Amino acid sequence: MKTGVNGELLNIDGLSFSYEKDSVVLKDISFKANYGESIALVGANGIGKSTLMKLMVGLYLNYTGNITVAGHEMCKKNLNHIREHIGYVFQDSDSQLFLSTVEDDVAFGPRNYGLSEKEVEERVTEALRLVGIERLRNNKTYKLSGGEKKLSAIATILSMKPDIIIMDEPSIALDPRNRKNLIKVLTGIGGLKIIASHDLDFVRNICERTILLDEGTIVADGRTEDVLGDEKLLEEHGL
Amino acid sequence: MDRIEKKILELNRLQDIQQRSHWMNNLHPLGKLLISVIYIFLVTSIDKYDIVTLILMSVYVIFTFIIGELSVKEGIYRMRLILPLVLFVGIFNPFFDKSSVPVAGFAVRGGIVSMLTLVIKGLYTVFAVYALIATTSIDDICYALRSIRVPKIIVIVIMLIYRYIDVMAGEVDRIYTAYRLRAPGQKGIEYRSWGTLVGQWLLRSMDKAQIVYESMLLRGFKGDFIPKKKGIKKIDVIYPLVWAIVLLLIRLHVFGI
Repeated sequence: MKTGVNGELLNIDGLSFSYEKDSVVLKDISFKANYGESIALVGANGIGKSTLMKLMVGLYLNYTGNITVAGHEMCKKNLNHIREHIGYVFQDSDSQLFLSTVEDDVAFGPRNYGLSEKEVEERVTEALRLVGIERLRNNKTYKLSGGEKKLSAIATILSMKPDIIIMDEPSIALDPRNRKNLIKVLTGIGGLKIIASHDLDFVRNICERTILLDEGTIVADGRTEDVLGDEKLLEEHGL
Repeated sequence: MDRIEKKILELNRLQDIQQRSHWMNNLHPLGKLLISVIYIFLVTSIDKYDIVTLILMSVYVIFTFIIGELSVKEGIYRMRLILPLVLFVGIFNPFFDKSSVPVAGFAVRGGIVSMLTLVIKGLYTVFAVYALIATTSIDDICYALRSIRVPKIIVIVIMLIYRYIDVMAGEVDRIYTAYRLRAPGQKGIEYRSWGTLVGQWLLRSMDKAQIVYESMLLRGFKGDFIPKKKGIKKIDVIYPLVWAIVLLLIRLHVFGI
């Protein structure tokens, strides 16, 4: 694992972004994150959480400021390296699972990175074991339940052994049992986790650090219990 | 259940058949693809009056349907689009072709024989393709296409179309269901709503397709699907080889019929 000068895995410095010229979505975002941290990105709807996460994985490159992932500066020529270090779990697991069986989908990433069939096999087995869905290995993806789809989507990322996992609303539409199971799975995963969520209880269970966003800027960045414990702050910023 | 839901289920059912555990499904896809192409080529090359050879050629579809445990009903169901077209093309033959052709010792009007052969050829072709897609997943078919050096771009387009059909069908289903629930008693979609709904459908499908594509990119997709490499077993060579020989012998009238 490569890190930045100060040992950070992710470094965002003065990041600003807009889809159109006159409407700025993110303004001067700066923060650093280290291996082993679990960070929650919270904020009201439409304040740019998903955009920020898509910038972290290099889906948009027309930003100002700097993003460094595992020592690599975000730019087109570094995208392949960066994406080996960072995994993104989409809000909609249906879109993430596009192959016929769970096994094929989990193997998709490792195969694309040129691993041997033996290594692919090992990665798939390990990823499925980590999220506890070995039994679903040969199941068809369209037949999975919501919770199973979410866990399979996480497995598709884990099989690439990323240092950073980014998740967009992972607990959305999960029943209490699946939600509890997801918390257990996520707390058991190492590396840096960045989770965008409106589910504040879920965040309390997993993340020790929380970044609160509003109107495209960071309004608070601190210990989860401090940020989420400040009801006035949350209310002021639409939570 | 509306028609769109039925189509989605149909697609899912086909995937179920493709992924069942059966020795025909486990055969190497290249052999199955090649023998299907050879079969279609040989069937379509049979003379329009040579109904006997054509009947003998049925041995392949009969074998694949019985041994492969495929539903004939499903196969015939797949014919529903192609059969009217074939019938339309062949229906005029009896009127224009008034020659006399001997069939099993009887003189039959050439037009009727040629119409029959046309229908049978259509039937066999669809059955053979159905047998192929019912025992081979789209990933495997694409793997076979890449093995015979079909350009990467064509194979990728086939795979992506297959992926996005599902996405687009899902969106149609959601939009149509939402419309129906708020327009009870209405038959179908009112003409004034068509423009908006189709526009919505395209935009939403594009959004969803974009997410699927992003998800692929983020997992190292560089413009080529890398399939699981398949080893070749004895049966993978014997199966297509035996069929190729049998079909060729029938086609060349070696059995003296």
